[in-house]
Amino acid sequence: MFAPYEIPGIFDEMFETPGTPRPHYRDVYERLLALERDGLARRRRMADVSFRNQGITFTVYSESQNVERIFPFDLMPRIIPPQEWDVIERGLIQRITALNLFLEDAYGAQAILQEGLIPPRLVYGAKFFRREMIGLKVPHGIYVHICGTDLIRDADGRYLVLEDNGRSPSGVSYVLENRAVMKRVFPTLFARCRVRSVEEYPYNLLRTLRHAAPPGVDDPTVVVLTPGTFNSAYFEHSFLARQMGVELVEGRDLLVENSFVYMRTVAGLRRVDVIYRRIDDDFLDPLCFRPDSALGVAGLMNCYRTGHVTIVNAPGTGVADDKAIYPFVPDMIRFYLKQEPILDNVQTYICERPDDLAFVLDHLHELVVKSTNESGGYGMLMGHQASKAEREDFADKIRAHPRDFIAQPVVQLSQHPTQTDDGWRGRRVDLRPYILYGDEVRVMPGGLTRVALREGSLVVNSSQGGGSKDTWVLEAEEAAP
Amino acid sequence: MNPPRTMSQSLPNGMSQSMDGGTMMQRLGRPGRPVVVNQPERPLLARVADSIYWLGRYMERAEHVARLLVINSHLLMDAGELTPALVARQWRDLLQVVHLSPEVPGEGDFEARVTHYMVLDPDNPNSLISCITRARENARAIRSDISAEMWEAVNELYWSTRGPEVETLLRENPEGLYDSVVSASMRFQGITDQTLGHDQRWYFVGLGKYLERIDVTCRLLETRLAFLLEYDEQLERPIRNVHLMGALRMCCSIEAYRRQPNSQLELLPVAAFIVLERHHPRSVRFCVREARQAAQAMRQSTRGHTGAADETEKGLGRLEAQLEYADPKDILSAGMGSYIRKIRETADAAGAAVRKRYFLQ
Repeated sequence: MFAPYEIPGIFDEMFETPGTPRPHYRDVYERLLALERDGLARRRRMADVSFRNQGITFTVYSESQNVERIFPFDLMPRIIPPQEWDVIERGLIQRITALNLFLEDAYGAQAILQEGLIPPRLVYGAKFFRREMIGLKVPHGIYVHICGTDLIRDADGRYLVLEDNGRSPSGVSYVLENRAVMKRVFPTLFARCRVRSVEEYPYNLLRTLRHAAPPGVDDPTVVVLTPGTFNSAYFEHSFLARQMGVELVEGRDLLVENSFVYMRTVAGLRRVDVIYRRIDDDFLDPLCFRPDSALGVAGLMNCYRTGHVTIVNAPGTGVADDKAIYPFVPDMIRFYLKQEPILDNVQTYICERPDDLAFVLDHLHELVVKSTNESGGYGMLMGHQASKAEREDFADKIRAHPRDFIAQPVVQLSQHPTQTDDGWRGRRVDLRPYILYGDEVRVMPGGLTRVALREGSLVVNSSQGGGSKDTWVLEAEEAAP
Repeated sequence: MNPPRTMSQSLPNGMSQSMDGGTMMQRLGRPGRPVVVNQPERPLLARVADSIYWLGRYMERAEHVARLLVINSHLLMDAGELTPALVARQWRDLLQVVHLSPEVPGEGDFEARVTHYMVLDPDNPNSLISCITRARENARAIRSDISAEMWEAVNELYWSTRGPEVETLLRENPEGLYDSVVSASMRFQGITDQTLGHDQRWYFVGLGKYLERIDVTCRLLETRLAFLLEYDEQLERPIRNVHLMGALRMCCSIEAYRRQPNSQLELLPVAAFIVLERHHPRSVRFCVREARQAAQAMRQSTRGHTGAADETEKGLGRLEAQLEYADPKDILSAGMGSYIRKIRETADAAGAAVRKRYFLQ
């Protein structure tokens, strides 16, 4: 089944050369090779039906109507050996620590700006910089409690950070559901491979949220705040609330009285201490941010500022994952932690800088240009694939608002064998591990491997035809006694 | 008698020898944390109570719609040659039972139009697929508050009634379709009973279910009574019996009725049975009792045992007492139709009071 498999000058997760799997993939390779195409197709249908019946879907927004879809799932797991994972884990802990120190600094003393390491206008000009947060002390100094960092691999297999999602990273529910389905579909293979468990994530998330409670609250009431059933990630909001055993609330369930937050229950009002919000800053509080928001709670920010409730992640964390601030994360690590970055960034041109801008406009055909305030693969230009007209059109946009754009060389992404109608084919993948920052920093072993299902495509987002795979981090071999 | 099973027998080999009671406890719980059971009930959001109530109602309604359709088509087959006017009357009565006006959109064969309207029309708020879709929307909004099994039962039913296959099924094997909806609803109720905590959530889903059942059962009896009294002269005995058995079947009560000693197929005893039977879960009296108990339990769990009965509970309690001590003769003297209509209106008011008292306004 691997006969016509090709590795076009990029890193392949499974194969050293076509036909020779890397050692940590050998079991899976042999087992899946032994399966007939029918057996595979049957297992895949099993997985699809299971996802649909459980309602594990996301909503695609389109002009005419919103469609509920299954997140396409690929049966071939992505495997990470323990020594590789160790580096990733240390790198991610280092990064979330630095990002939190940066946020505390950016909304506090601003030492890093005074040192001239980051141009202040990039911070103040960031779309998600929140003046309301200046001078505010947050519990334990933690702003980003939950982070989902996107990693990719270059042609040499080196892991690079593509972006830090420090606002409301989604996808973790798919990690847990993918794992549950894999265990059902390949029980024996799974048992043999010594895969590290991801199942304690909801428990750790709840610990993290409880740790964030306002000082003096010993037994906090935690809720998950969702925009509602029409949101594309509603399944995940409901999933996490269920797994943690806490209430899933909408804005209309909450109200503010005497600068405390309450939820409306059949037995009257109940106080709420920690809100894991899955709505954007803009919609949190119509009195403070967008007045037309019906999703949030009037007066919430005031309660937050009084310290009567904790909002997780904190408002204003978006300044740290702003695409124009991202290039400075290695500097943050050196400045705050006095360490060298363990995980590297992708080389990035900041269009705000005149030299970079000139370079970007000259080299559009070989760069990926991203809008600094869009996510989910919207508002980007793949220069090498775009037509001349598209490039010129985009160049105008960049010239008009240079602050809104950054550019990066086309990083090819590694590929992974993936089931297609023509058998196994290499498809590009990334990896989003999830990091929790509470009483300690915990990194879920693995994360969401997203795969671009279209041939040659580099865009892995679910809204743009991406699928996902289970990600297996293997147990370390126990040292001989 | 089996020998007592000791701890060591239930552990895998090698574990029992190496563990005393203390380490055993450490393995089973986190040291230093007291094990607490029977904690105070988790707060139930008003919005969630609202959705779970409607989930119960819409599932029950879907079941009734399916059963009415299947029994009605049987009835029409058994009733011999009927005038077109009588067939149309039969279908219009059915629409009335589920709160629909007798005007059915479209043209052509009335029976085919009604069937399509009642099963697949998304613009008909009480069509089978509308009920199922709304049940699912409510369930989806409260997935984290109901059991995974409940959600999956509703979700599977939803997907099984979508898509072009359903049109084919409705053409080729309508009974198969109706039966699958009825059994999915029954399954849902069993799953609810056995997977959801019998706490506030359960009271609300039960209240929705029983208030819906009271409503449909009363409306069914009202229309059937009116029909049979109006056509008393014209219907021959065997045809009357077909209608009476149809009414019993629509209430899922034919077997229970036949078990009665000396049960006769007469209009008044049949109606009295459906209204007043003590133990049959389809009788109005049974449903009123269940609904009253749910309302009382809800009030007690939200305001403690000392609080006064609220409007819902009072209304249902008075109705329960009335049915509990009713003499069938009273019903006859009061006029059966209006007696049943009053029951329905009382239950309706109780439902409105629940919504006002507990749900998000």
